[in-house]
Amino acid sequence: MTMFFLSWAIGIIAVVFIVFLWAKKNRLKAMGSSRVEEINQLIPDLKEEFSSELTPSGPFPENQLPKEELPHSYGIDRLVLLARDPYWLYAYWEVTATKMAEFTSTYGTWDTSWPVLRVYDVTGIAFNGQNANQYIDIGINDQADNWHINTGEPDRAFCVDLGRQFPDGRFITLLRSNTVTTPRASLSDREDEEWMWIEGIYRSIRHQYGISSPLFAEEITERARTIPLGVSSPGHWPEY
Amino acid sequence: MGKKGYLAMVLHAHLPYIRHPENEFFLEERWLYEAITETYIPLIDIFDRLESEGVDFALTISLSPPLVSMFADSLLQQRYLNHLNKQIELADKEAQRTSYTPFYETALVYRERFNQSRRIFLEYNCNLVNAFKKYQDSGKLEIITCAATHGFLPLLMTEPEAVRAQVDTAVNLHKRCFGRDPAGIWLPECAYTEGLDDILKEFNLRFFFLDTHGVLFASCRPRYGIFAPVYCPSGVAAFGRDPESSKQVWSAKEGYPGDYNYREFYRDIGFDLDYDYVKPYIHPDGIRINTGFKYYRITGNSHHKEPYNPEQAREKASLHAGNFMFNRELQIKHLSSLMDRLPIIVTPYDAELFGHWWFEGPQWLEYLIRKIRYDQDTIELTTPSKYLDEYPCNQVVTPCASSWGNKGYNEVWLCRANDWIYRHLHLAAVRMVDLANSYPNASGLSHRALNQSARELMLAQSSDWAFIMSTGTMVDYAVKRTKTHLQNFLRLYDEIKNNNISEDWLKTLEDRNNIFSDIDYSIYRSRQKCLASTPNKG
Repeated sequence: MTMFFLSWAIGIIAVVFIVFLWAKKNRLKAMGSSRVEEINQLIPDLKEEFSSELTPSGPFPENQLPKEELPHSYGIDRLVLLARDPYWLYAYWEVTATKMAEFTSTYGTWDTSWPVLRVYDVTGIAFNGQNANQYIDIGINDQADNWHINTGEPDRAFCVDLGRQFPDGRFITLLRSNTVTTPRASLSDREDEEWMWIEGIYRSIRHQYGISSPLFAEEITERARTIPLGVSSPGHWPEY
Repeated sequence: MGKKGYLAMVLHAHLPYIRHPENEFFLEERWLYEAITETYIPLIDIFDRLESEGVDFALTISLSPPLVSMFADSLLQQRYLNHLNKQIELADKEAQRTSYTPFYETALVYRERFNQSRRIFLEYNCNLVNAFKKYQDSGKLEIITCAATHGFLPLLMTEPEAVRAQVDTAVNLHKRCFGRDPAGIWLPECAYTEGLDDILKEFNLRFFFLDTHGVLFASCRPRYGIFAPVYCPSGVAAFGRDPESSKQVWSAKEGYPGDYNYREFYRDIGFDLDYDYVKPYIHPDGIRINTGFKYYRITGNSHHKEPYNPEQAREKASLHAGNFMFNRELQIKHLSSLMDRLPIIVTPYDAELFGHWWFEGPQWLEYLIRKIRYDQDTIELTTPSKYLDEYPCNQVVTPCASSWGNKGYNEVWLCRANDWIYRHLHLAAVRMVDLANSYPNASGLSHRALNQSARELMLAQSSDWAFIMSTGTMVDYAVKRTKTHLQNFLRLYDEIKNNNISEDWLKTLEDRNNIFSDIDYSIYRSRQKCLASTPNKG
């Protein structure tokens, strides 16, 4: 499907763009100019203009159109951790009003502490809250309810606490996540003793990630001379 | 010289479930119609021809449950026929318009193609499931299944019941449509994480596919690399993708599809011709769209395009098939000198690559099948099942969590553009399990509402929505679908819990989101032996 969707979507934009370029070029020619840079500067506007126009408007009749947004909260305390790739985790959470009230009744006001994500490396252990191999703290803000976490550590197990830290250094856990393991990013060091290692086979493999729709998207995007769609890197900006 | 190894061609056919009875014309429904004309029917056409000429072949194709459901849906069948009739009407006009021009031959190709599509579609009673089943039954095609709505399973594993339901529903649909258990499964986006294979094992699925590094980066180094399957600890086999042969076909730049003689995708009369002429064949609101009539060849890197020459393109497809076979022969000869068993090269592709994007792709595939059969004896086409029958003993490793998406892991489906969906999808899965546990013996209206809840949840879980969001194009539709199904689910949940189910509204949902008519919500019930989340390493 990915193939299908990409070619379809990019195709529409590309054709529109080519027609537009052609028209623009002819107009410029008539004015005795061929300023390609000027045309290129028009590209971002073009994308926005057409992508919104091409999106079918109002395909849902009134009674099925989402009238309101999805609930912001569900009244359930939870902190869920997902492994995105060998180097990044993603966490989302919800802290209920009850939980907040419990905290404030024990530790005083919310304002004297700040929210922190404590990321534990729990590789190879049964984690009990105290015995992590190591941990890092990420200071976040009270508005955040999810975070992309850069661990930089493939093939390690992680667990995350959402908690609050006081000026005296005390860390109070509000929620604890499930444990996830980041994927490997290289060949295993383990060569099973019962098996033989055949060197030549590995030499014949020249691997490259994602030789499928996404690679295809980059290439046809290039060919269609459209703006990059951002399929390849949906965001890597620093988190903390 | 004799056989030295195997080639397993795997086509993954999938489109998200898009069916809008409430709209006479719905833009995204055209994805199905275009893919039927450009990919699925041309494939069936090849199978018909090979069969009638007695050419033996072995291919694997995964038909996703949404696709199978759309094939079997009478509304979509009727709409496809209407669409096809309009295409034929336009093809007749085009044959007239282009006479005495360099485009005439191509116009005739289109006219013949659309008429042929109609013949084939009607021959199989408007249900392409019949066609694929025919070649399954004759032993030429290994049809495998996929997750029920193409859910991205590793990111749904927080609630293993939701993953089990995706597999259960898919296997059931497959049995009903193809009359037998699927031997294997295509994991959506080749996305795997530890523990997933345990669920596959419950349904007797023998194998699945991984991207190269999914096998290479396994817990122990696989002895044969990707040129033999490995067993997960559960005993389910994983086949790894061969990057070399993939790139020759996948890459639009370095691969075959970019050849200058092949048809250019981006020049379509829907955009090129007078508005009044194409008006009856584009969006009713007057928005220009692709019509499928394209008359130019790729020509080169500039915007200058030469007319398409069908005969030259056909020769190129034959040449490329020969080149592909030659390279596989070399590869197999080399590998067989290093291995103490016959190697297998696994080459999976999106089926829609063939025909839709790469117009000549089906021709290439047919040439390849014929050449492999008659022009050499080093390699033989095979299917994963046949290979496992021949080599039942394989190395046991835990594959690496991975996908075939960009960068090889989960990022395409878990990035800033789509990360917000998971808190809702996971919550809905928790609630669905709660419903299944709370109402073990529902009947009447509750039973219907519970089944519809399961449908809405699964439709929300399609990996396609997250993918489209990540591409940044046509995002609105994907967001709308995700939100609508989730809202439907949440409302059903409340109504079931409060015992105030609105029958009219339920009926509307059942008519509209009618996938999996015989779904059974109880598949979401918790099992005693529940899979823990990914265990700590140790």
